[in-house]
Amino acid sequence: MRLVAAALVAVTALIALEDSGPASLLRHAYLVPVLAAALRFGVVGGGLASAAAMLLSAPVVLPEIERSGLTTEAIEGLVTFAVLGLVGVLSGVLRGRLGRHRRRYEILVTIQRTLADEAPLDLSLARLRAALADRLRVDEIALVACDGERLAVAGGARVADRSLVARVLATGEPVFVSDAGARGRARRAFATPLMSRGRAVGVLAVERTGEISVGERVALEAVGAHVGVALENARLVSCQRRFAAELEERVTAARRELEELDRAKSAFVAIASHELRTPLTALQGFSEILALRRLPPEEVTRLAEVMRREARRLGRIVSDLLDLSRIERGLEPALCRVPLEIEPTIEATVDLFRQGTATHLITTECEPSLPLVAADPDALERVLTNLISNAIKYSPTGSSVPRGCARARRRGGDRGRRCRARHSDRGVAARLRALLSGARCRGRGARHRHRPGRREGARRGSRRNGARRQHADDRHARDGRSPRAERSVP
Amino acid sequence: MWALDQPYAPRADHLLADTPLALLAALAVGAGTAAVLVELAVLPPHVSRVAGVTAAHGALLATALAWARVSAASPVIAVALIGLAAAVSQLGVLGSLAYLGPALWVGFLSARGRLTSLGLGTPVSLGRVAAGVLVGTGLSGHLLVSASRTLGVHIRVDHAAEALAAIAYDVGANVLAGECFFRGALFNRAERRWSFAAASTVATSAYLLRYLVDPLLPKSVELMIGAVFYLALLGAMNCWLLSSSGSLVPGLVSASIFFAAYRTLGVR
Repeated sequence: MRLVAAALVAVTALIALEDSGPASLLRHAYLVPVLAAALRFGVVGGGLASAAAMLLSAPVVLPEIERSGLTTEAIEGLVTFAVLGLVGVLSGVLRGRLGRHRRRYEILVTIQRTLADEAPLDLSLARLRAALADRLRVDEIALVACDGERLAVAGGARVADRSLVARVLATGEPVFVSDAGARGRARRAFATPLMSRGRAVGVLAVERTGEISVGERVALEAVGAHVGVALENARLVSCQRRFAAELEERVTAARRELEELDRAKSAFVAIASHELRTPLTALQGFSEILALRRLPPEEVTRLAEVMRREARRLGRIVSDLLDLSRIERGLEPALCRVPLEIEPTIEATVDLFRQGTATHLITTECEPSLPLVAADPDALERVLTNLISNAIKYSPTGSSVPRGCARARRRGGDRGRRCRARHSDRGVAARLRALLSGARCRGRGARHRHRPGRREGARRGSRRNGARRQHADDRHARDGRSPRAERSVP
Repeated sequence: MWALDQPYAPRADHLLADTPLALLAALAVGAGTAAVLVELAVLPPHVSRVAGVTAAHGALLATALAWARVSAASPVIAVALIGLAAAVSQLGVLGSLAYLGPALWVGFLSARGRLTSLGLGTPVSLGRVAAGVLVGTGLSGHLLVSASRTLGVHIRVDHAAEALAAIAYDVGANVLAGECFFRGALFNRAERRWSFAAASTVATSAYLLRYLVDPLLPKSVELMIGAVFYLALLGAMNCWLLSSSGSLVPGLVSASIFFAAYRTLGVR
């Protein structure tokens, strides 16, 4: 500005020294400082410089008009006035528009760069506010963005209820306030909504002591729209990245699960093959013996009995596999319920085990004249076989395995039959309970109940506050009776 | 930040709110009565001048003080001081020193922080005061050069006492009341409603109108055009000085310098 002023004074001094009147060629030199001021300071600078040039040249031009009227020289001087004014103002206007466009593009680039990095909303707003404060040349700037029910604020602590920002957020319309309450110089405030998908997702508010021109307000509205879109894009990108990360985690978990299932399937096939191979090997071996050798009749009978037993075992395994397949498909195991007498079934099963064990004494206790039960004979046989074999397996050698059936009364008054097995070693109660639990899965349609030993009963009693059950178990312990497993059939 | 913290309500009061209409009416009636009585030769002619000065400058200064929402008595005191100064100045050149009374009163109110809304009593940088000096000097220099070259009006050195009395009048009444009202009150209020350009246009137009109806302005076309030219520039520049500095002091300085230069010309 000092250079401009000095140049104007210098040109005026040269014109005065030349003393060639208003048509001096040096008058065109005024254009240099006027243009410089317009290009440097915009329309204000250009206007002021041209006005100063006119003022400085007026003492040369106006006296000529008063002395001689509108001579050619005087007209040239007046044309110079007009040219200076037009050049100063128009150049300033063009420079101002150019500057505004440049600033707008710079602001857009700044917005995109600032929001390119993935960061929490508060941090992004703070960065954006700092970047915009440098570009917009305002005294105060605040950015508010809706984050669900919360308002993220950059440039202040909170949004007061009836404040300008709250109003803009509610109405979605920009508001210009020409007097923001300052005592000295007039302070302007302007708030514009950050628009995204047709609704206000935040507010950009600026304050300046001095003017916020109409052009600046339009530019700020455009900036608000761009910031709104940029924030929405940043939010969408963040959501997309989060979704991709979640999807990757889920795919990884599913792959792990599939690998586990594959391993379990391989283990199952191996176990099933091993279980099938055992009876098949026996059948194969004994059948080859029968085919290749001549054996005494009693030996043939014995081998046939063994083969029959192994064939039944093989059949049970295949039945179990079929049941498992049905259960996996969500179907119940195929049961063919028929009325049958329970005592002969028990006796037949016990007879099989009596022949196969010499270490345990198996006894049966059945109440007389038991009614018929509705049960699948094969399933019931499997249940009883499982029950007795486990009782033998987990009872000490030489102990007795009582086996019986009694009439039972249910809580609802429905009658049923209860089969029970008891062993004398109370230490195997937990293992027996586990086995019985497994038997329940395999013997659907039947219900079992395990009465635990003293310690187990005390724990369960405290958990369920079942003092009565604990009392019963204590009574069993005092009587010296062993824990027992029961299975009920309808 | 105001936009976040403070409640917002659209402005409800109008531009001329708080105008002391009763006082203005009283001044108008007094001036009119004095003019009539002087016309009827009931009172001596200088009474009309005293009443006119008191009514014109008193009205401007009283309105400015009323808009600044100082105490109700302050505008009346300002009017009384101006009237007193106008009356005393009729006694002689030294009597014009009485115009310092209104200036001291305004300075007293400013020192107590009562006139910050007029831009008085607020901090101001020396640079802005220097800018005011520059504006006043530039316009004064241009006035002196162009007046001497185009109008043939030259600087007179033989009426120094009258010039000093006129300068005292400018400092204590003319410039003080004009700047307080047209810039400190009117422009300040207008700028809080409209843009700088609109506000300065309103204030400067009113400023020009005030001087064009002034009976003391010589009724010569050249002088009236010159007055419009310089007063328009002075008014616009003082608006810019107030808007950029937030203080009325640079405008007071520039206007005082300009009118001081004007008083050195032998304009009748």
